[in-house]
Amino acid sequence: MDFDIKETWLHKINPSLKLLFLIVLFISVLFIHNINFLINYTVAAFLLFAFFTGHPMKRILLLLIPFVLIFVSTATSMIFFGKGETTWWKWGLIHITEESFYRGLHLGFRALIFALLGLMFSLTTRPVFLFYSLMQQLKLKPKYAYSFMAGIRLIPIMIEEFQTIRQAMIVRGVEQRKGLANFFHKLKAYSIPLLSQSIRRAHRIAVAMEAKRFSNDTKRTFYYEIGFSKYDLCFVLYFIIAILLSYYAAKMLPFFPVTDVRYIE
Amino acid sequence: MDLVCEVKNLRLKYPGEESLLFKDVSSSFCKGEKVLLLGPSGCGKSTFLQVLSGLIPKSIEVPMKAEKILTPSSWGYVFQDPDTQFCMPYVDEEMAFVLENLQVKREQMHEKMRVYLKMVGLHFDDLHISIQSLSGGMKQRLAIATVLALHPDVLFLDEPTAMLDPEGTKAVWDTMKQAAQDKTVIIVEHKIDHVLDFVDRILLFNQKGQIVADGPKEQIFSRYRKEIREDGIWYPGVWEDYLRDKQGYYKKTPLKEQVVIELEQFKGYRKKEVKIDVPYGKVHAGEWIAIVGKNGAGKSTLLHSLMQFIQTTGTYLLLEKEAKKIKKLSNMLSFVFQNPEFQFVTNSVYDEIAYSLRIERMKEEEIRTKVEEMLELFHLQKHRHQHPYQLSMGQKRRLSVAASIVKKQPIMLLDEPTFGQDSSNTFQLLELLEHYRKQGSTILMVTHDEQIAKHMATRIWRIEGGKLVEDEIHSCEDEQMYVQI
Amino acid sequence: MKGLKLTDILVTIVISIVFGIVYKLWGPLYYAVKPIGLHVDQLIYGMWFIAATVAFLIIRKPGVALIAETAAASAEFITGSEFGIEVLLYGIVQGLFAEIIFAIFRYKKFNIGVVMLAAAASAAGSLIMDLYKGYIDDLVFWNLLLFIGARLIGSIIIAGAFAYYLVKSLEATGVTNLVRPASHEDYDALN
Repeated sequence: MDFDIKETWLHKINPSLKLLFLIVLFISVLFIHNINFLINYTVAAFLLFAFFTGHPMKRILLLLIPFVLIFVSTATSMIFFGKGETTWWKWGLIHITEESFYRGLHLGFRALIFALLGLMFSLTTRPVFLFYSLMQQLKLKPKYAYSFMAGIRLIPIMIEEFQTIRQAMIVRGVEQRKGLANFFHKLKAYSIPLLSQSIRRAHRIAVAMEAKRFSNDTKRTFYYEIGFSKYDLCFVLYFIIAILLSYYAAKMLPFFPVTDVRYIE
Repeated sequence: MDLVCEVKNLRLKYPGEESLLFKDVSSSFCKGEKVLLLGPSGCGKSTFLQVLSGLIPKSIEVPMKAEKILTPSSWGYVFQDPDTQFCMPYVDEEMAFVLENLQVKREQMHEKMRVYLKMVGLHFDDLHISIQSLSGGMKQRLAIATVLALHPDVLFLDEPTAMLDPEGTKAVWDTMKQAAQDKTVIIVEHKIDHVLDFVDRILLFNQKGQIVADGPKEQIFSRYRKEIREDGIWYPGVWEDYLRDKQGYYKKTPLKEQVVIELEQFKGYRKKEVKIDVPYGKVHAGEWIAIVGKNGAGKSTLLHSLMQFIQTTGTYLLLEKEAKKIKKLSNMLSFVFQNPEFQFVTNSVYDEIAYSLRIERMKEEEIRTKVEEMLELFHLQKHRHQHPYQLSMGQKRRLSVAASIVKKQPIMLLDEPTFGQDSSNTFQLLELLEHYRKQGSTILMVTHDEQIAKHMATRIWRIEGGKLVEDEIHSCEDEQMYVQI
Repeated sequence: MKGLKLTDILVTIVISIVFGIVYKLWGPLYYAVKPIGLHVDQLIYGMWFIAATVAFLIIRKPGVALIAETAAASAEFITGSEFGIEVLLYGIVQGLFAEIIFAIFRYKKFNIGVVMLAAAASAAGSLIMDLYKGYIDDLVFWNLLLFIGARLIGSIIIAGAFAYYLVKSLEATGVTNLVRPASHEDYDALN
């Protein structure tokens, strides 16, 4: 995916480190039950996403739209249908309680922070560098890494193919049929050409790679050598400071009078 | 002479096939030889090449055995499809992939890349250029460059130009003549115009996978001309031979009165940009228009605009009705895609042809008569129960045309229908199209083949830079008329 | 993972990337359906398990289900999933659970029952992950039951039955022969 991207310090972070650190952050978020802490933390992640990915503001705003949907949709299902004692509102199956409200809100922010961190990663990491780094730092086997890179190269080709198939389906009249059985017929009509073409391509590429003397056993040199830099340290420090500040601010200036959404007095 | 490659009594069978593809086939190749393998589609030439290189059985598991097999110690392989020989997205990264395999030091990589790219005549200021942005011919030359990095003694070329236009084809063979002068080269190819002055020996296979002739090219050519022609090979002079046989079949007829398509200031857009512009165009019933022009000029885009796949503006009348107001364009226009597989939606040849009739809720008996008629006309009777994907290239193409036009739409749009087809399949298809044209169908066909434009089409539309720039009508006998645009 | 050749891996990964894109597109759909309530969203959740079962049915080798689901999740992640990093961890667990089922049958059974079981196992894996992530045990009881039931049923239909029939139609095209090993009869025919 070629975009007009400015390279920022987030691009220069070692991809393996970025990935592992994000997993650590993901797990750490699961242990946060104070909604005020989580809100502050989300703001810290949002700042990185909004201002340091090097993408134009217009695209950032566009990418934000689904986030609102994620937030609302995740929060409401818990708010409307969660357990709780202090009833605020009741209508049919919908039962909003103080407990379910805060838990729902908390879940909403949780989904939001996962999405922000994840998108920040994909906006600032070139897959080729990621897989070179995984081979070099985490000893991923080359046969997996190169298979992945070959597969990613095929994505634009597959998308183009999908559009052609769509046109073909319109011409053949597949699109005009309705009903559930036809939904599966349609799904099949799209997937068979896409999958069979993909299998053939993958097979040919694998043969071509071996014809070019690719081997999993012999040692190999690397065109890109991915190492570590001061930016890695910046990245880790940013989050440590952000977490500490969020926690401190949550203590001092809470938005809601709740410290643990699991146990609400 | 030094032997570089040899098989003795090769037997090979594809899983699930009923019979052996090769039964006791033997051949050998000497250092520095340039050999062309010829034979009909499906005779196993490509498989033979894969055995000679050792790709079968090392990378592709196919049951085989041979009394003796000698594969070259250093070799390179160029495949047919430009899109499936690369695993990396950029030129430099793909070259690097090969160099990494050979454990070349990182510091030396850039210099080596330049050397190999220069050998195939590719010059880029910045090597970090997306492979997808290259033309088919350039991709194939890049493939050759990556293969040259392996320092091969023997080069295996498996129809390297089958998917290229004439320009790309010529560039690839020019490159090959320069870069492979001192190497042993074994080639499988259907389009042999540019190959003939490069090779010195020809191996001729028959339908059963046997080698029927092996010798110097001149000798093979004079003795086996008939076989070569029947095998569907594009040899020099194939058009002359064909047209001599079919004299009078493609007869130019005077223009008919009825106008089927009328275009004025017609523009097609992709991402809000004008990609095709037809200032004026009037198509009469029974015309065969060849749409020609360079790659990316907008030929397919014109068909897509007519089909209303993309946004258009301007006047577009279909049988005197405004096209935008017609609900089901597919009742008037049929469309044949470049890759036949994309339009297959059922599990058998019969169902495939019946499909659009069934959507129209026609009675099964009526459908049967129509489908039977099509099966016979398109020579697909024996394959009625087969899965469309299991057909040969030529059969797939014929089926895709049959299934598209079964509703007898008055106008046919075809996107390079003869692309990658051998000559017998091409001629068979052209005859079918002419058969329909004579009955009054109108044909608009994108093609790279100048011979088709010259001999079959009644009219040529030339597209340049997204604009219809030339409209040339050949109506009755050799008379040519240019329409001012 | 003995026996997985470059071809097997590449085919697995490319199939998975196709599904990875489907997974990515499924995200907005899922979130759009979610506010309807009554866990209608859970009925379509099963699509996220389909890479494991389809890839295994095509290639039929140990390890393929796990690799496929992980790869599909990675592709979903790299293309910017709404779920962020969690899809990776979910993917690994879901793939692992499907893989275990195929392993129990020693990678020798490819019938619809086993595939449905594998799909249900993936669903179970995802539910375990949810337990840690989403406070699902805080849903009222009838609601929790509906939630689990909907997810299981959806998975069995989509990642089980549909996957099975999809591969059946793919087999009819002959393309799967490329990746399936040749039989002894084929070798015997050479003599």
